Amino acid sequence: MKLVIAGKGGSGKTSISGTMARLLARSGRRVLAIDGDSNPNLALTLGIPIERMNDLPTLSRDLLRRTADGQELTRTLAEVCESHSLTGPDGVSLLVMAHPQHAGTG
Amino acid sequence: MRSVIEASPDEDVCILDTEASPEHLARGTGRHADAMLAVVEPYYKSLETGRRMAVLGRDLGLSRVSLVANKIRDDRDLEAVQEFAGKHELELAGVIPFDEALPGAERAGAAPLDFAPQARAVQAIGELAGTVCK
Repeated sequence: MKLVIAGKGGSGKTSISGTMARLLARSGRRVLAIDGDSNPNLALTLGIPIERMNDLPTLSRDLLRRTADGQELTRTLAEVCESHSLTGPDGVSLLVMAHPQHAGTG
Repeated sequence: MRSVIEASPDEDVCILDTEASPEHLARGTGRHADAMLAVVEPYYKSLETGRRMAVLGRDLGLSRVSLVANKIRDDRDLEAVQEFAGKHELELAGVIPFDEALPGAERAGAAPLDFAPQARAVQAIGELAGTVCK
């Protein structure tokens, strides 16, 4: 199940995303949460301390290869998660597409 | 970002918290997703943004596109969202009540689930998760 949660800034989409991710993980699913916002703060609603976020490498362009259809990963998602994701409470994995200073790299 | 979504295995749940702008979605972020929830508040500009996102989600070919009503304070709020959803033939997948626990969690720098696990909004998000990820 791949679920996109969208909404205007301030609508509460991040609180909903983070809480859903935690609850689904508690129900026994493996959950990958992706923060695709250029001002990422999903970590907070997942219960991951902001200090840990600062050490997290974001997905850089060298991980993506241009194709006719857009872009694809140059490594498997498992490899990308290994090097670029954090595991938070209830075992939720978090992948952050962009840091504020690198907005747009996602 | 869509390459990451495409690569994520089907047996897992992959939740993408995405950019607020419809333009971002139009670039194809959501193309490989199964479902989209457009979170709306009960006032016109938010509902209209949600509707535009839902239209884009449908255009991208997502099999399920729904609204989620958030920060609902009373029956009037709920009716406003229901009326809008009905008028535009959009499914309303969940209703999350306004709950002080959520801004409270943010101020405390904590996850809502850790800050106030029994909060009504947290319970409602749990119901939504159950509805969407059966």
